[in-house]
Amino acid sequence: MVFSEDAPPVCPLGTEACPVLAAYLRLQEECRRLLALSQTDGLTGLYNRGYLMDALSREMERTRRTGLATGLLMIDLDLFKEINDTFGHQVGDAALVWISRFLQQNVRQLDIPCRYGGEEFAIILPGTRLSQAVRLARRLHRALQEAKPRIQGHTLRLTASFGVDAYDLRERLTPAELLQRADAHLLEAKARGRNLVWHWQLLSDQASPEVSPEERTGLLTPKNLRKKISGSK
Amino acid sequence: MSPKTICLTSGKGGVGKTSLTVNLACALSRQGVRVLVVDGDLGLANADVLLGLTVTHTIRHLLEDDRDPMETLIFPEPQLAVLPASSGVPDIVNLGPDDQERLSRILRTLAAGFDLTLIDTAAGIGPSVLWFGALADQLILVVNPDPTSLTDAYALIKVLAQEYQRREFHLLLNAVRSDDEAFQTFDTLAQVATRFLRVEVLYLGSVPQDPAVTRSVREQTPFVQRFPRSKAALAVAALAARLSQDRALAL
Repeated sequence: MVFSEDAPPVCPLGTEACPVLAAYLRLQEECRRLLALSQTDGLTGLYNRGYLMDALSREMERTRRTGLATGLLMIDLDLFKEINDTFGHQVGDAALVWISRFLQQNVRQLDIPCRYGGEEFAIILPGTRLSQAVRLARRLHRALQEAKPRIQGHTLRLTASFGVDAYDLRERLTPAELLQRADAHLLEAKARGRNLVWHWQLLSDQASPEVSPEERTGLLTPKNLRKKISGSK
Repeated sequence: MSPKTICLTSGKGGVGKTSLTVNLACALSRQGVRVLVVDGDLGLANADVLLGLTVTHTIRHLLEDDRDPMETLIFPEPQLAVLPASSGVPDIVNLGPDDQERLSRILRTLAAGFDLTLIDTAAGIGPSVLWFGALADQLILVVNPDPTSLTDAYALIKVLAQEYQRREFHLLLNAVRSDDEAFQTFDTLAQVATRFLRVEVLYLGSVPQDPAVTRSVREQTPFVQRFPRSKAALAVAALAARLSQDRALAL
């Protein structure tokens, strides 16, 4: 058999309906399916955590070669357990599927949304600086707040906390370290009351007397949403 | 009650700060508390206007000649004194270091003769507002449910927290349509302030929206006197009672 990247394989003996070739093609298809399966999250169809780590080290390698930064968002749905507890796990699962579509539809073509686990998601942003990553996170944050998904007859208000970080040539960092840092920002966002975008530059922003966009959003968030958050503590 | 100085400020103008200060002072004095109201709006003073007082000497005269500060005070009631400021005199708006030092000395001396001193500041986050804010023992932020009032009050909290290390702010909600609205407004501001600035924002009370307030301003008489049964007057009286009795507030 002759193997080529572009052309479909043919039987070298020219046999019509070659059984070996048929078996080969079946195996090849099976391999593709298994590979996709091993990279995908079963419920949501997003990439899974294994693929996240592979893709992250590939993109960080690209940063080292091209000098273009790699952005990373860690996202955690706020008070998701309450949805499961109030409406049941079917609604919870449907909400996870909905949020996955939402993320896929609201990121750019080259971004890589993954399900990290539970109600936590990660998005790799190839060729994206911190400031751009923060802008994307704010856009997602706002769009999510405004969306009122109707899931199995229930209108839900989903909000999320965001941790944002980026890798550029100024530092040495492993994929696990970058992930850990973005995750630390996510924890900070949750500690500060959830439904918030957080990144390390905010710490220095806090030192300036100007009211930051995050603070402004917090002050001007619609009242019904706020009530839900404070009422559910 | 040991002498205390409380600064009432708001960030945004027009939220009813001066009117609340004057009425709170009246209500407190009727409950036996000796109160001094300092008009801290040095450029555009009007605490005296709301009380219908005739002013001859102001803070400006105090700083210019060495007169006895007690002579500058006006007593609309035996327990209530007002230290008026000047209206339309721009040169005193931003006090120089010498004047600042003298004014704080004068205020300390005057305050010692009263149970409570209420300073009504100007709107905004100008130097004089921050100066009075730093001087006072306690800060009361007057806020109404408008989004602009919230953001301006927040901006003021931020500056006072960062530049003057203030850690505690009492919120007084004005012109609210319901208790619910007051709590929601408070919640919003308190949550964001705790989250971003790590300061403590405490709920002091609320005063309902009430046509009696506007009428009393026009008539230059405090509503606690002119309309003592109005919703706003009752709320202010209740607040005054809590302030004069409740030591837990540390006021």
